[in-house]
Amino acid sequence: MNGHSNGKVNDTVEEFHRNNSFNGLVIDTKKSAEHRQHGTSREEDADECRLPALEAAYASILRELGEDAGRQGLLRTPLRAAKAMQFLTKGYHETIEDILNNAIFDEDHDEMVIVKNIDVFSLCEHHLVPFFGKVHIGYIPNKKVVGLSKLARIVEIFSRRLQVQERLTKQIAVGISQALEPKGVAVVIEAAHMCMIMRGVQKMNSRTVTSTMLGVYLEDPKTREEFLSLSKSA
Amino acid sequence: MEHSEPTEQADGGSALNGHFDRTGKRPVPGGSGCASAAASAGAPQPPRAEPGAPRPVMESWREERTRSVEDNQTSLPSLAAAYTTILRGLGEDPQRQGLLKTPWRAATAMQFFTKGYQEKIIDVLNDAIFDEDHDEMVIVKDIDMFSMCEHHLVPIFGRVHIGYLPNKRVLGLSKLARIVEIYSRRLQGTPSGRRSKVSAPCHLCPTRLRLRVRASTVQERLTKQIAVAITEALKPTGVGVVIEATHMCMVMRGVQKMNSKTVTSTMLGVFREDPKTRDEFLALIRS
Repeated sequence: MNGHSNGKVNDTVEEFHRNNSFNGLVIDTKKSAEHRQHGTSREEDADECRLPALEAAYASILRELGEDAGRQGLLRTPLRAAKAMQFLTKGYHETIEDILNNAIFDEDHDEMVIVKNIDVFSLCEHHLVPFFGKVHIGYIPNKKVVGLSKLARIVEIFSRRLQVQERLTKQIAVGISQALEPKGVAVVIEAAHMCMIMRGVQKMNSRTVTSTMLGVYLEDPKTREEFLSLSKSA
Repeated sequence: MEHSEPTEQADGGSALNGHFDRTGKRPVPGGSGCASAAASAGAPQPPRAEPGAPRPVMESWREERTRSVEDNQTSLPSLAAAYTTILRGLGEDPQRQGLLKTPWRAATAMQFFTKGYQEKIIDVLNDAIFDEDHDEMVIVKDIDMFSMCEHHLVPIFGRVHIGYLPNKRVLGLSKLARIVEIYSRRLQGTPSGRRSKVSAPCHLCPTRLRLRVRASTVQERLTKQIAVAITEALKPTGVGVVIEATHMCMVMRGVQKMNSKTVTSTMLGVFREDPKTRDEFLALIRS
């Protein structure tokens, strides 16, 4: 789902890293591509040892922007920014299996279940700038229901990554689908992209809406309509 | 800045009736279109008349441009390399299609978010101060503001409301928004409580990026800078600035309070002294 390496290598950057001995921290790209689907491309305990490299990178960014990295307000900023960035991408640690293992229940319920207005915060993978909004999730169980907060946790796993809104929507839907095997899953995300608001075209009020419909939501327009009207209501 | 008229006195850039000029050109009748020329008779004494006493509040006008457009170009490769390191450090694959040009895009974006360092108030305001015999409140509200938290490098966004009571001099309305832009497109943080002076910026030397540090800014400080800049430009009867902002560092991480907003205000002049004026301003920005 996430693009795999197309073989282009950025020579200057590679050289920079070779010369700066960051190699020890470079992820084996093949491994991480594989892992992205089913596993984790980052171990939680590896975060600590990655911190110095991230800190150094942020310190260099501050310098290059024309700021004085020695002033009081900026002294610990590289560390804070590095930790913040790790927090904002902590979805790489987590897999659906870890979250869901105990919270799937057998219920003889086959009506729509909707959890709406889940706040979502993610990072645009193109500009590394946040986008945020609301997610509405609906599914029709097939003998198996999931703990409600687990839907929000699934959103967290996939959103706390470098993302594209379309892919995020699909990953959430497919994740739920694979875990529960329901009759249908619908996910709608409405988000504001700071990369469009703070820079570039600078359209303050623009919102991006994406949706993924699987199973009966895809096949049956009435089901889809019911979900859309229930998730829109105030 | 080139000036067509020879200057009589190199004044070292003192403030003269709101026209700040490195060569200290004085507004003279029939001069080069300085709007305050005709009004200089009734205007307050220029600080030139008080020898040698630098007013600390004036320093906000002395914003050195610490970065130029050329600097942006030259720093881009190292910024991009830093971002590539960050991508790897986060466990991502910088070679995948979506991330291939991300370091460059992120670097350019970050330079845009800090473009306040490239600009000076003087450049923005010089021509847009007009003499108007208007002494009623002027308010520009709901100016969208975007800044970056200097602690976490995460966005801050909100709205600025500015009101002022002119004293014979008004400012082009968009210039208020431009003042907001200059000060907000920087890294905002906590007041440092001390000012450290570092060497003056030198564009020729490799460590060119030294910055004279005024107390670093946070939302409180940003509010004050805007108010002070308007005061020094126009010498109005009073200025009020209110900023209402959301700090993503509190919303996206840390305490994660989605709906929290931070509100700060600065009231100067008659806005501070007269509660009724202040109330009028606050009521008008709420409506």
